[in-house]
Amino acid sequence: MVSTVEQGHCAASQTDRIQQAIEHATHYLPSQGPIKVFVHHNTLHAFEDLKFDQGVLKGLEKYGCEPYFSEARYRQEMAKGRIRQEDLESVLIDDLGDEADRLVASFGTRYGLRLAMLCSPIQQLPSRELDWLLSETQVLEEGPSSGDLAKSRRALWDACVYGVSSVPRGWNQASPKVHNGPRDRLIESVGYDTDRWVHEWLIRYCSAFLDQGFAPFTLVDRDRGFLETFLELYRPRWQLLPSWLKRLPEYLGRVKTESRDRLELIVELLQRLGIDEEEWDVFIEQSLLALRGWAGMIWQMESQTPWTPYPMPKGTLIEFLLVRLLLDVQAVEYAQRHQKQVHGRKSTSENPLVEGAFEGALTVKSLAYALFLVALQRKWNASELKSLTPAQWEQLVKEFHAFDGLARRRIFQLAYERRYRVQALDAVACSVARRREQGRRETPWFQAIACIDDREESFRRHLEEVEPRCQTFGAAGFYAVVMYYRGASEAHYRPLCPINAVPQHYVQEEPLFSSIDLNERRQQRRRQLGAWGHFLHASSRTMLGGLLTGLLGSLATFPLVARVLSPRLASRIRGGFGSLVRPPSTELHLERTGTSPGMSDEGLGYSIDEMAKIVIRILQDIGLTDGFSRLIVFFGHGSSSLNNPHESAYNCGACSGGRGGPNARAFAKMANDPRVRHKVAQAGIDVPEEVRFLGAYHNTCNDRVEYYDLDQLPNSHRVLFRSMEASVHEARCRNAQERSRRFESASLGLTPAEALEHVEERSEDLSQARPEYNHATNAMCFVGQRHWTRGLFMDRRSFLASYDPNQDDERGAIVERVLQAAIPVCGGISLEYYFSTVDPEGYGCGSKLPHNITSLAGVMTGAASDLRPGLSQQMVEIHEPLRILFVIETTANIMRRIIDANPPIHSLVENEWVQIALLDPETQRLSLYRRGVFEPYKPIQGTLPEVPSSKEWYHAQRDHLGFALTKASQEVQHG
Amino acid sequence: MVESMISYCGMVVILAPLSLLVVMGIASLFGLIFQERFIARMTQWTVLVGLVGLVTILAFMLLHGVRFIAVDIGDWVRLEEEAFHFHVKFIFDRLSIPFAILAFVLCGVVGAFAQRYLHREVGFRRFFLLYALFLAGMTFSALAGTIETLFLGWEMVGLSSALLVAYFHEREAPVVNGQRIWSIYRLADASFLIAALVMHHLTGKGDFGAFVGEHPWPDGTIELPAWQALLVGSLLLLAAAGKSALVPFSGWLPRAMEGPTPSSAIFYGSLSVHLGAYLLLRVSPILEASRVLQGFVIGVGVISAISGGLMSRVQSDVKSALAFASLTQVGIIVVEIGLGLYYLALIHIIGHACMRTLQLLRAPTLLTDYHALENAIGERLPQNGSEVTRRIPSRWKWWLYRFGLERGYLEVMLDRFAVEPFLFAFRWADRQERAWTDWLSSEPSRESDQTPLHPEAMLIEAKSNDLT
Repeated sequence: MVSTVEQGHCAASQTDRIQQAIEHATHYLPSQGPIKVFVHHNTLHAFEDLKFDQGVLKGLEKYGCEPYFSEARYRQEMAKGRIRQEDLESVLIDDLGDEADRLVASFGTRYGLRLAMLCSPIQQLPSRELDWLLSETQVLEEGPSSGDLAKSRRALWDACVYGVSSVPRGWNQASPKVHNGPRDRLIESVGYDTDRWVHEWLIRYCSAFLDQGFAPFTLVDRDRGFLETFLELYRPRWQLLPSWLKRLPEYLGRVKTESRDRLELIVELLQRLGIDEEEWDVFIEQSLLALRGWAGMIWQMESQTPWTPYPMPKGTLIEFLLVRLLLDVQAVEYAQRHQKQVHGRKSTSENPLVEGAFEGALTVKSLAYALFLVALQRKWNASELKSLTPAQWEQLVKEFHAFDGLARRRIFQLAYERRYRVQALDAVACSVARRREQGRRETPWFQAIACIDDREESFRRHLEEVEPRCQTFGAAGFYAVVMYYRGASEAHYRPLCPINAVPQHYVQEEPLFSSIDLNERRQQRRRQLGAWGHFLHASSRTMLGGLLTGLLGSLATFPLVARVLSPRLASRIRGGFGSLVRPPSTELHLERTGTSPGMSDEGLGYSIDEMAKIVIRILQDIGLTDGFSRLIVFFGHGSSSLNNPHESAYNCGACSGGRGGPNARAFAKMANDPRVRHKVAQAGIDVPEEVRFLGAYHNTCNDRVEYYDLDQLPNSHRVLFRSMEASVHEARCRNAQERSRRFESASLGLTPAEALEHVEERSEDLSQARPEYNHATNAMCFVGQRHWTRGLFMDRRSFLASYDPNQDDERGAIVERVLQAAIPVCGGISLEYYFSTVDPEGYGCGSKLPHNITSLAGVMTGAASDLRPGLSQQMVEIHEPLRILFVIETTANIMRRIIDANPPIHSLVENEWVQIALLDPETQRLSLYRRGVFEPYKPIQGTLPEVPSSKEWYHAQRDHLGFALTKASQEVQHG
Repeated sequence: MVESMISYCGMVVILAPLSLLVVMGIASLFGLIFQERFIARMTQWTVLVGLVGLVTILAFMLLHGVRFIAVDIGDWVRLEEEAFHFHVKFIFDRLSIPFAILAFVLCGVVGAFAQRYLHREVGFRRFFLLYALFLAGMTFSALAGTIETLFLGWEMVGLSSALLVAYFHEREAPVVNGQRIWSIYRLADASFLIAALVMHHLTGKGDFGAFVGEHPWPDGTIELPAWQALLVGSLLLLAAAGKSALVPFSGWLPRAMEGPTPSSAIFYGSLSVHLGAYLLLRVSPILEASRVLQGFVIGVGVISAISGGLMSRVQSDVKSALAFASLTQVGIIVVEIGLGLYYLALIHIIGHACMRTLQLLRAPTLLTDYHALENAIGERLPQNGSEVTRRIPSRWKWWLYRFGLERGYLEVMLDRFAVEPFLFAFRWADRQERAWTDWLSSEPSRESDQTPLHPEAMLIEAKSNDLT
C-alpha cells in the first residue's frame, strides 16, 4: 500500500520533471511564426540574459551553429584592409586588461604572443587535412631559396612537435565538445543515423498536420489532436510500412486502448530508450532541437499566433515530442536488432574515429602547427625552443590552448566591429562639427517624414540633395497608429503595428460614397475572377480539371515566355487588366461613431481624443512642434516582389511585416482634422491652419511612390505639391541608382532613370532571387536631430530616428519611448542579420533556390527538410555581421536611467548585444558605453572627404563605402 | 532540293546543342572559367539557332507537304562479324518536330530564368553544363531515328537529371535522393536496352523506319507477331514507366524537387517526365500489334492517373503537390496512347508541359497568390472543395488519405519486395562464397576484410546505410 503511494508520488514527480523539461526546452526553439508575418528578432533571444560572447557560445553548444565568421574569412578581411593591425592591437589590449603584460616563458608578453597568433595564418584544420598539408605540400620545406632555412624549418617543426608532446596530456580535455549529449550517444551506439528514418516520417506528418489550407484533401479528423490523429493514421495492421516501423501499429494499438497520460507515456519511452533519469532534461531538449524548425513552428502556433486559420491546440508540442519518441524507439530498437547482421563490420562507436578528425579539435599536431607558424612569424629558432624547460613548455602550450580558434575569432570580431565604430563615430563628429557652423534653417519648403528604416536613409538624403529647402524626419513607420487594417480589396484584417503592441482599433478602407455602386460592380468582377482563378488553380492538380487545363495549357506559353523574358512589359499588361477590377477612389473609415472600438460598423476607427493623442505623440517624438511648412508628407513603406516566400520580411518591420502606407494615410487624415488640431493646440502644439498633411507610400523594392487622398488637397497647395512631387520623383530615381550599385547584375553606369527601370523590373521578375537587399549592411542607428547628420553619406547602413532633446523633459520621457521601440527593433534586425550571416545554414535558411513552401506556414529546403527559419543566403550575402551601434543624442544620466528602467533595453545593452554611444546635447561631445560607464570618445580622424553630392561618392562603386560629407543638401540660407 | 535544305537545317538543329555541350564540357575539363553573362549568351544563341532551324524545317515540310525526312549520319560502331552496328540517324516527322520545338522553347525559357535565378551561385557553371547535357539529350531523344540513338539521348537526359537533383551536393538529402532516382533510371535503362537487343534480334535492326514503312507517323505498322510485340512492348513500357515515374516507380517524383526551382520545373514538371510517354508514342506501331499490350498501357496509365490525383490532393507542400499533379496528367496521356489517340496525346503533352513549367516556376510565389485569391473572393479559400470528397464515408476517407500520404506505399513496396530480397539473395551468396573459400583455404580468405577503412569512409557508411 505504502509502496504504491510512493510509486504514484514518484511517477507524479517524474511527469512534473518532463513537463518542466519541455517548458524549459521551448525557450531554445526558434521563435519565428508562420512566414506570412515575418518579424525580425534576435535569433538568440533565449540567451539575452548572458553576455554576447557567452550567448554565441551557448548557441554553438545547443545548435552547433557558428558564433562568428571563420578565421579564414577574418584574415581575408584583414588582407582587404577592413580590419587593421591597429584594431587588433587596440581590442586585444582592451580585452586582456592587466593580463596583457604577463610574461610567457621567454617569449615576451601574453599580448605579444596573442598578437602574433592573430597575425600568423593559423587555421583550425581537421587533422586529416593537416596531415595532408604537412606531407603533401611545401610548408615544411619551402623558404626563400636558402637550403639552410629549409633545414631550420624542418628543425623548428620537430622542436614544436617534441615540445608539445612532452607536455602531459590534460590540456586538451578541457575543450568543449559540441554534440555530445545523451541523444548523440544513443544514436552513435546503434551505429545508424536513425534520425534520418525518423525525420522522413515525422516531417511528412507534421507538414500534413500543420497545413494551413494548401492541401485540398486535409488530414482527416485532425482536430482530435496531434497524437490521436497519428494513432488513427498508423494503427491499422494492414499497412505497408518500412521494416523499421513494422511493430508500430501494434504498439499504437496498445497506446490507444490504454489511453494513458501523455507525460507518463513519455516517461515510459525514455525508459525504454535507456536514458538515465538525470539526463532526461537534456535528452528532451535535444530531441526537440533535432527538428527544431518544426517543433518551433508548432510551439509558436500553439502559444503565439491564435489568428492562423488552423491554430494548434494546447499540448501539441508535448504530443509532438511523444510521437517523435515513439518513432525513435521503433528506429533504435530495430537498429539494435539488426546491428550485427550487416557486413559483419563493426559499428562506428566500437571503432572510435581518430581523435578530432572532423571537428577540428585541438590535437598535438594541430597545436604544434600553430606554434610552428607563430615561431616562424616571430623568428624563434629551433635551438631556442629546444632549450625550454618542461615547465616553460607547459606554460607555452597552455597559453596557446587558452587562445584557441574561438577566442581568436572573438578578438577578430571585436576588431571588425571596432573599425566600423571608429569610422562611424569619427564621421558623426565631423558632420556635427560642420553642422554647428551652419545656422538653423528658415521655415522649410516642405517636410517629409519617413520610417527610421535604413533603406530610407538614402531616400531622405537624396530628397534633401534634390531640394535643399526641404526637411526630413524619421519615426517608426507605424506612426503611432496601432490598428488592425483591412483594405478595400482585402479579405482580412491584419495588424499594422509593432509585434509587441496589441491593437484595439479596427480601420477599414472603403469606397467613396459616390462610387459605391462602381465598387460593387468591380468587387463582383473580382469575386468571379477570383473564384475562377481558384478553380483553375485547384483543378489543374486534379484529374479531369487537369485534363482540360492540360489540353489548353499551350496557352500558358504566352504568359510564361512573356514573364520570363520581359517581366516589366508583362506586369504592365497585367496592371492594365487589373484596373478593371481595382476598387475605385476610396477613403479610410477612421472616425468612430460608437463608444468602444471593435469590428462592427460603429466600432471602426478612433475617437477624436485618441486621434489627437496619436498626432501629439508623433510630433513630439520627432521634435516637430513648431516651424511647420505648408506641406508635410508622411511616407509609409513596404515592398513588393515575386517568387519570394519571405516577402513579408522586406516590408515595414514596425508594421509586423505589413505595408505601412495605410498608417501614413491614417495619420495624415487625423492631423488634418480641425477638431484634432484644436485638441493638439491645447497640448501646446499649434499647427497653423494652412499646414496640410499628406500620406504616401514608398515601395522600397521598385522605388515607386504613391500619394493618398490627393483630392482633399486644397487648391492653394497644388503648386507646392507638384514641386514636391517632382523632387520626390528625382529623389527616387537617384535612390534607385544608389541601390543598383550593389546589384551585380546591374551595370555600374546606369543613369537614374535607367536604374529606376532596373529596380522596377527586379520587383516584377519571377526569376529574381534578390528583388532588393532589404536591411543587409545595416550597422548603426542614429537617434537625434537630423540637423547633425544632414549631408552625411551613410551608405544606407544607418537607421535614423528623429528626436529633439531640447523639447524633452529632464527625465527624457520622449527619448525613452523612442528607444523603447528603436533598441529592441533595430537590435533585433541587426542580430538576426548577424546570425544568419555568420552561419547561413545553421541560423539562416540557406540558399533560397531549392526552397519549397510547405503547409503555407514556412519553407523547407528541397523535397523534405526541417522548417527553415532565419534569413536566406541571398538576403545576407553582402551583409557585414556587426552588433548595431546606437548613437543617441542625450545625456549619460538620462541614458543610465532608461537602461535601468527598461529590462529589454537593459539586457541588450548591459550584455553587449548592441553598442551604445551618446552625443551630448549641450557640448556635442561623443561618449561610448563600455563596461557600465560612458567613456568620452576622442575622434581619431578629424576630417572626412567632401563631395558635391552623393552620386560623386558612390558612382561606379560596388562595395561598402565609407562616410563622406556632401554639399548639395546644405540648406540655402535665405531671409 | 527541299530535302537537302531540310537535312541541312536538321544538322544545324542537332549540332547546336551538341556544340554548346562540347564547349561547356571542354571549358570545365580545362578549368576555363567563363563569365556568367557569356554562358547565358551562349545558351540563348544555341536555343535560338536550334529553334529557328526547327521552325524552318516545319515551314518547309508544311509548304511542300513532306511528312517524313531522315538525316542519316551513318554507323558509329560496326562489328560485321557480330552483326552489330550502332546506327546514328535522326528523323523529322509530325511527332518529333513538335516535341523538339517544345523542348527548345521550354529549355530556352528555363535557361533565361536560371540565368538570373542562379546569379552569383557557386554552381552556376555546373548547372549550365548539365543544362547543355540535358538539352543535347532532349534533342537526340526527340529526333532519334534508331533505337540506339534514342538510347543515347535517353542516357544523357537521365544522367543530367540525376546530377541536377543532387545539385546541392554539400547537403545529404539531395545526394541520397539523386542516387535513388539514378537507380530507378538505371532500371528503366536496363529494360530499354534489353528491349533494343530483343528488337535487333527479332527484326535485325533498330531503325524506327522499319516499322514506319510507307506511311509516316502515326500511321506506321510493324510486321511482328503479337507475342513478340508484347515482349518488346512490355520492356519498353517498363522503361517508360521508370522514366515517367508511372506506377510503381512514382516515389521518386517528389524526391526530384531537391534541385534549384528551374531545374525541378523543367525536368520533373515538364520534359523528362514526358519522355516515357514520348517513347511510347514513338513505338506506337508495336503497341498496336498487341491488344494485350495496349491493355497493359491503359492499365498503367489509369492506375498512375488515379493515384497521382489522390497523392497530389494530400500533399501539403507545393512542389510535391505539383509533382504528383504532373503524374496524373502523364497517366492520362499514357491512357490516350493506349487508346490510340496519338494526336491527342501529343497535344496533351505539349499543353501540360507548358502549363506545369509555368506553375512550377512560380511555385515560390504561392503565398502571394493565395493571398490575392483570398482577397478577391473575400474569405478563406474553400477547403475539401469537391462534393465527391465530402461524401466519402470516414473509414474510406482514412484509407484514401493514408494511401495519398504514404505516396501509395510505392517506395516501401519497392524497398521491401524488390530491393530487400535482391540484397538478401546477394548477401546470402556472398556469405556462401566466403564460407566456401574459407573452408577450402582453411583460413580467412578475403584480404579486403583486413584492410582498415578510412575513418571518413566509415562515417559515410554509417550515415548512408539504409539497413535494406
